[in-house]
Amino acid sequence: MQKTESRNENFSSRQSSKIWFEQPDSANPYIAVDHFCHGYNLIELMEKRSFVDVFFLLFNGKLPSSAQSELLQQLMIALINPGPRHPATRAGLNAAVGKTDSVHILPISLAVIGGAHLGAAEVEASMRFIKKNLRKPTAELAATLVSQDHSGDVDHHPAPGFGSRFSAIDIFQNKIAKHFVQLDAAGKHLQWGNSLADALAKKDMGWLSTGLAAATLLDLGFNAKQGAGIYQLLSAPGLLAHGQEYCSKPITAMPFVKDEDYFIERPEDEQA
Amino acid sequence: MSKLDFWDQHRGIIKSSKGGWKIGRGIFNHDYEMMADLVGYKSYFQVMVLNATGRMIEKKQADWIEAVFICLSWPDPRIWCNQIGSLGGTLRSSVVASTSVGNMAGDSRLYGQKTLIAGAEFIQSALQEKKKGLTAAEIVAREAQKHRGKPNIVGYARPIAKGDERVVALERYAKELKLSEGEHLLLAREIDNVLLQQYDESINVNGYCCAIMSDFGFSPQETYRISTLLIAGGILACHTDAWQRPAESFYPLRCTDIDYQGPAPRPVPGKENN
Repeated sequence: MQKTESRNENFSSRQSSKIWFEQPDSANPYIAVDHFCHGYNLIELMEKRSFVDVFFLLFNGKLPSSAQSELLQQLMIALINPGPRHPATRAGLNAAVGKTDSVHILPISLAVIGGAHLGAAEVEASMRFIKKNLRKPTAELAATLVSQDHSGDVDHHPAPGFGSRFSAIDIFQNKIAKHFVQLDAAGKHLQWGNSLADALAKKDMGWLSTGLAAATLLDLGFNAKQGAGIYQLLSAPGLLAHGQEYCSKPITAMPFVKDEDYFIERPEDEQA
Repeated sequence: MSKLDFWDQHRGIIKSSKGGWKIGRGIFNHDYEMMADLVGYKSYFQVMVLNATGRMIEKKQADWIEAVFICLSWPDPRIWCNQIGSLGGTLRSSVVASTSVGNMAGDSRLYGQKTLIAGAEFIQSALQEKKKGLTAAEIVAREAQKHRGKPNIVGYARPIAKGDERVVALERYAKELKLSEGEHLLLAREIDNVLLQQYDESINVNGYCCAIMSDFGFSPQETYRISTLLIAGGILACHTDAWQRPAESFYPLRCTDIDYQGPAPRPVPGKENN
């Protein structure tokens, strides 16, 4: 066995950031007297720009145009709440009604919405898929994708961000997409995605929330690595609101499935 | 059959092939009633493997897996996942929250639980290739070819240090337990020898453990599932250490400790003057 010895790797001596500068106080350099986001004083940003503008700036390093700001704001509203039936929301409800510390509700929901099926991981994958296939004709691609899809799930996602929800087209997401493509900042990613969704429609498939977020974020200039976390972030308000709605309710306020509706698919169930 | 039938058949009920609590009748876990068959008779690690895979393994196998957990959890806050525990402790985040999120850091391409999937996939596919006639040297050469001459194989070589003292400890314990050595481990040792002779690199704890877990009969996904809490112990220790010191005193940074590389201060333009 080889003897354990250090590789003496050259680690950085300091943490770095291109995003944020904290101007130290001359008397106590642990305290900041001013904060700068990509060079802009935060207090000046508070006075002159909207939250959406500063959000865009934080991730992209530049302030958005009015059209970009409008599209991002509408995406933020579109994604603000995955809704009370969404598994990520229900994870937070379970924590809340079980009197889990309130600070844990949001992280619990966000971990669940990080999933690869209708979650943040699918947004990242969808952004890569759209970028890679953007030049391909959508009708042929749709046919190929459907013929190659062997996931075994009841709801098929022949490509990340596109597919069926509960065996049908997700009508609401497709409605939002039709609206988004008409906005000034909508670009080639939303338009191509819309065409792919149309080509999938005869198979009862179309845009999923993850694909819609992916195409919109690409049109706004975000990259795939950013997409996953931003999807979590933009879904957070609704996840938290639903969780908090249950914080003060008794534990009996959520269904607890009755024994006769709980099926253990094992031989011992018959013996018990 | 209507498109809704599948969903309606699942609505309002829960099905489990694992088990559950039938109030007044028992708490069932696979083929066992937990209080009567498991408590006091099986170890925690035997039951954890049962939960992850549905299979009850021998006590000595579970004891060896427990030793792997010890090897992968050290109380050193410089390790990335452990430092998350320390940062939670210094900000007075709860030990459960900090340890849980630190454990999430092990879903990584570089270290931790998730790398076991690639490690197990490698040794299991390499064994198939060996059975088709490839030698360990040919397997290593092919992997090196994929990475511009460097043998970047998950489970062999390791970041920060060469060699791996954890393999030595686990080998000693495996001998004490009289664990039989299987064909995955044999191939892993052959690959280790090739790497030592040709590249001055060697097997690491991932490669050694994935070979043994494969010899135990676990798939890559089962190996990953069994290892869910693999790194939690070290994170717990680091959280506790930081918790017991003054708040925010863990590795504090002055403003000037950040190497700012962005644009210099500039005026904020009004709307449409970007």
